[in-house]
Amino acid sequence: MSEDLRVRLIGENEDDERMDSGDDEEIESDDAFDESDEEKYGFYFPSNDHDEEEDALSTSEDAPEALEELQDFISTLDSADDKKRKSNDVSTQSASKKRRLMQERTEAGDEGEFGVSVRGSTALKLDDLLAPLASSSALTTLKKSIKVLTSTSNKTKTLSAPLPQRAQERLDREAAYEQTKEEVDKWSATMKRIKQAEHLSFPLQAQSEGRVSNLELAAKFKPSNELESAVDNLLKSAQLRDQDIAGTEALKMAHLSVEEVAARRAELRMMRELAFRVDKKAKRIAKIKSKAYRRIRKKQRERLGGEEGDADVDVEDAEARLKAEVERARERATLRHKTTGKWAKAMQGREELDVDQRQAIGEMLERGEKLRRRIQGEMSGDESEENESDDEEQDVETIKQGAFEELAMLNASDVLSADIGSKSVFNMKFMRDAAERQIREADAAADDFLNEMGGVESESDDDACGDRTVTEGPSVQRVGGRVVYHPGTIPYTKPVDSHASETSSVTLQSADLVQDSPKSLNSISSPIISSPTQESNPWLVTSSSSGPSRKRSEVLVQKGSDALAKSTNKLKKRIAKGGEEKERIQDDAVLEIDADNVLTALEPASTPAVINTKHKLKGKGKEKPKNDSVAVQISPADADDSDEHSEVDEQERTLERKRKGGKGKGVTAFKQRELVTLAFAGDNVVQAFEDLKQSEIEADAPREVDTTLPGWGSWGGTGTKKFPPRPNLIKKIAGVEPSSRADYKKAHVIISEKRDKKAAKYLVKELPYPYTSHAQYARSMDIPVGAEWNTRVGFQRGTLPRVVKKMGTVIEPLVKAS
Amino acid sequence: MVKISVLQHAPSVHLPARPGDPTPTTRNLDPLMHPFARARERNRALNAAKMDKLFAKPFVGALEGHIDAVEVLCKKPGSLSAVASGSWDGGVILHNVSERKHIRRIQGAHKGKVSGLCFAQDDRLLSCGVDSKIKLWDASPQDDITEQRPLNEYPGKSAFNSIDHHRSDPLFATASNIVQIWDETKSAAISNLTFPTSTETITSVRFNLSETSVLGSIGSDRTFTLYDIRTGKAERRIVMQMSSNALAWSPTFPTNVLLASEDHNLYTFDVRQLKTPTHIYKGHVAAVMSCDWSPTGLEFVSGGWDRTVRIWKEGQGTRPEVYHTKRMQRVSSSIFTADARFVLTGSDDGNVRIWKAKASEKLGIITARERAAIEYRDTLKDKWKHDNEVGRIQRNRHLPKPVYQAAKLKRTMLDTRAVKEERRRKHTRAGESKPNAERKKVVITEQT
Repeated sequence: MSEDLRVRLIGENEDDERMDSGDDEEIESDDAFDESDEEKYGFYFPSNDHDEEEDALSTSEDAPEALEELQDFISTLDSADDKKRKSNDVSTQSASKKRRLMQERTEAGDEGEFGVSVRGSTALKLDDLLAPLASSSALTTLKKSIKVLTSTSNKTKTLSAPLPQRAQERLDREAAYEQTKEEVDKWSATMKRIKQAEHLSFPLQAQSEGRVSNLELAAKFKPSNELESAVDNLLKSAQLRDQDIAGTEALKMAHLSVEEVAARRAELRMMRELAFRVDKKAKRIAKIKSKAYRRIRKKQRERLGGEEGDADVDVEDAEARLKAEVERARERATLRHKTTGKWAKAMQGREELDVDQRQAIGEMLERGEKLRRRIQGEMSGDESEENESDDEEQDVETIKQGAFEELAMLNASDVLSADIGSKSVFNMKFMRDAAERQIREADAAADDFLNEMGGVESESDDDACGDRTVTEGPSVQRVGGRVVYHPGTIPYTKPVDSHASETSSVTLQSADLVQDSPKSLNSISSPIISSPTQESNPWLVTSSSSGPSRKRSEVLVQKGSDALAKSTNKLKKRIAKGGEEKERIQDDAVLEIDADNVLTALEPASTPAVINTKHKLKGKGKEKPKNDSVAVQISPADADDSDEHSEVDEQERTLERKRKGGKGKGVTAFKQRELVTLAFAGDNVVQAFEDLKQSEIEADAPREVDTTLPGWGSWGGTGTKKFPPRPNLIKKIAGVEPSSRADYKKAHVIISEKRDKKAAKYLVKELPYPYTSHAQYARSMDIPVGAEWNTRVGFQRGTLPRVVKKMGTVIEPLVKAS
Repeated sequence: MVKISVLQHAPSVHLPARPGDPTPTTRNLDPLMHPFARARERNRALNAAKMDKLFAKPFVGALEGHIDAVEVLCKKPGSLSAVASGSWDGGVILHNVSERKHIRRIQGAHKGKVSGLCFAQDDRLLSCGVDSKIKLWDASPQDDITEQRPLNEYPGKSAFNSIDHHRSDPLFATASNIVQIWDETKSAAISNLTFPTSTETITSVRFNLSETSVLGSIGSDRTFTLYDIRTGKAERRIVMQMSSNALAWSPTFPTNVLLASEDHNLYTFDVRQLKTPTHIYKGHVAAVMSCDWSPTGLEFVSGGWDRTVRIWKEGQGTRPEVYHTKRMQRVSSSIFTADARFVLTGSDDGNVRIWKAKASEKLGIITARERAAIEYRDTLKDKWKHDNEVGRIQRNRHLPKPVYQAAKLKRTMLDTRAVKEERRRKHTRAGESKPNAERKKVVITEQT
């Protein structure tokens, strides 16, 4: 028994050894499983070992000496400090026990190789056997596992019985299953991705054929024919191949110090900079030149504008004058310049204008302005003539001077940076030549400019005049009732001779106002500018803060060169001014205008006029009416959003207001209402709708039809009794109860209860599976996928199948990425 | 110079820029301009569904050669055309499917039926039979296609029912009354894997394709057992209501295994959770004898005792595609080809039949335009499948009368059973018996 035990114990070690060496070919399958199990499941190893120890114990329970020996063995594996002493003990003990063992030993035990070793000499100890294993990890693990046993108190040396084999195996299986599950679970992310993929192209793991890069090709390149090899040889001899270039560069740089490298870098940078310098200079010169030109030209233009007033009249002949007169007369006749005309008024009222109308308005205003300019041309021109011309002279000089100075500075800086580093590409002849050529060109440009500027005084006038004559036609100006003709007008006369008259629009200069003195015009225009409505206009607010009030509006309109902006600006002002005009003019003309306004009740321009007159009668201030007018202007815009009846409502509201305001307007208001009623006379819509709905309800209602054929199934003749119709001949038609109708108690709608057979084809009984709402499903069905209703790409995307398989391609199962 | 105005003909506007390009079309994409788009598309979907039925001609051809029922089929990994079939007469034939020729013909490879076939590495074929022998054959094409000598022979102790090769290593597994793992180079099994209480026959064993060390087996004791050659253990076993006849591991979802059951159904299980099947596939009207996944893992084929072949979509438990012919008998083996386009079945009448995996698919070259049209039709069919008419046409299956009658009878029986169960529950005390989910009835116990 003890032999068995010993064998087992030592065999254990041997097993361990075997595990190390890893050849387990000979062992039985069961053992192999145990071992492999231990290998795989480190956590199970100690317990297994433990079990086997226990097993051994349980089998040898009837042999006390064996137990003792085990205890000895365990004690040998005690802590290290008292190891020596223990080993001595063991040796003595084993020696003492040897005798007793010998008595009980069978012969078979004697022949065992282990038996011999134990009995043979007292010198051989367990430690000796274990000595070669001292370094192996198996022994240390064994010791570690036994430590648990040894650390327990001496009393409980007996170990608990091992689990039955089947239970043990079950535990092993469970552990193994957990392991496999864990292993298999690594696929879950992949599987999820495949499941959720919108499109799958099989085989899934096919490696894409990457494109061959140039570098790859170059690396693989081997000269195949004569030419290639010849070129290759040349490159090789010149050491210009890729691999050589790096080498030569390294070689070149190898003997250089850090400072030298830095110096080279600096030189390179310098060269680069110089290459651009000439370009830069040329550009700068051009800029200076053009700037100076522009400024001088501007000054001249301004000056000329001033001089034009007393320009030579005698140049023009009588023929031209006659022509101009005719033109003027025609213009007067058209009256397109007036805003008091019927057409102009109509235009004012409109909220949105189409292109033609806008153009027409623009044209009108232009005409008006032209005329006005002619009327007032004289007085504005003369004012700042002298001092401006003085300024101008001076300015031209200063401008030129500035330009020259700048040029000089540019040249000076050039001279400073003229010399280049000693040896570089720029020192080569062709580079130098090119650079010189460039510099020469730039200098020539500068010189030209200087020359030009020098002689500019003699030429510039003529040039400017010539330009102007080209751009403008002969222009006509009327100065104080006298028409003046001269070859070219200055297009920018407006700012110079401007007058607030833009605001004091053509209306003021219309027939009845022309005879007013210019002073009165001014006095009129200035309060208008400061009026609250104009301040509410952001454009005007900014302008009023910026410059003198006289020029402001003119400048504004010029800047916004857009015709539309111009016209709207003017219209606005005119509208705002309407009230004051009315206030000022207490004539029959007011009545006339009002009568017009009533007809176009919606027009924002006309309403304030009415209100203004009202307030004027009451003797109130003029600020309040302005506010009112604003409010009224807004209202129609709001009304546009509402339904069609709002128009009528609006009209009635205006009428109401009028009625409140003045009794004088009562007649026209009545007219309006009458017009409306006349327009919708006999239009009994509501009643008709109700009738229609009623008939619909009745048609759908359940009813009984008597299908009795008279004369059939009953007696005829006199004296016969009239029987009620037989019930089997009464056909009941199940309709829709009026109270169960969808439009029941909905007075404004009729909802048909008829089933649409054709539409029923497209209906599904219940909501299909993946959809969660009817709207969702309807939306998915709404969008057609065909090529007729989609772009080509949209069609292709929409019809792309979920699974794509290539014909004749082997689809391999998924492979684990190693 | 007289200016002549001519009609302009600019080909770039209405002709493709290059020969292969699609013809440029000009159309108004405003949906308001197409009030009848929906009606037209529905009509097209209807036509597409009808055409699908009209052109459904799934049978491609038959491979002859066996004089008895074909028991087993296997395809060569990585090859489109090489397929081996084993018969009850003990013969093994290696077919070239694309040419419909025999590559090798081995008469009497085994005594009794050939119960298992699989390809080993390097163009070799392993076969096992009820004569307790495993034989290794050379499967390379040769002049004499009827050469008889095996390369190697592995003796076994009992009749083998199934054989399967490891995907990459030179190992194979056999099923007799135990599962054994063999090395190709060794004459004896290198290990036995068995669940301790298992005493019955193992009918089939299969290696997992992606998780290559995992095996599954089914036995006549109504069990499915999971093994792992790394741990060298039978790890888990489930006992089901009825025994299974075939199993197949999914190539794309490595945790999924498909079982063809005797109870007319197919089940997929996730090996991580064996308590309940993930899906039940109901359709056969007799025992399902064989099953195989499509290489895409999104479809599978099953052959049944009811003389039909059915093609299922993964996750869709009803209404499979049904293939049948008058002459085809009970289908004992069925496999998908490696390109997932064809299905091969071996049946009791001794023929191997080739079917299209998609019945109405056109064979041969398909131009880009035609492909676009096909894809459009498929999209339409899918989009309108909830429509009454389109759906009805798509769902419609023509079945042989016996199958139809059997299905009807089965439905009646099941309905009756359900009604009875319902009544029973109604008349027991409230809450005493609850309706049991169908999926929970399948597995009786899960043994560890």
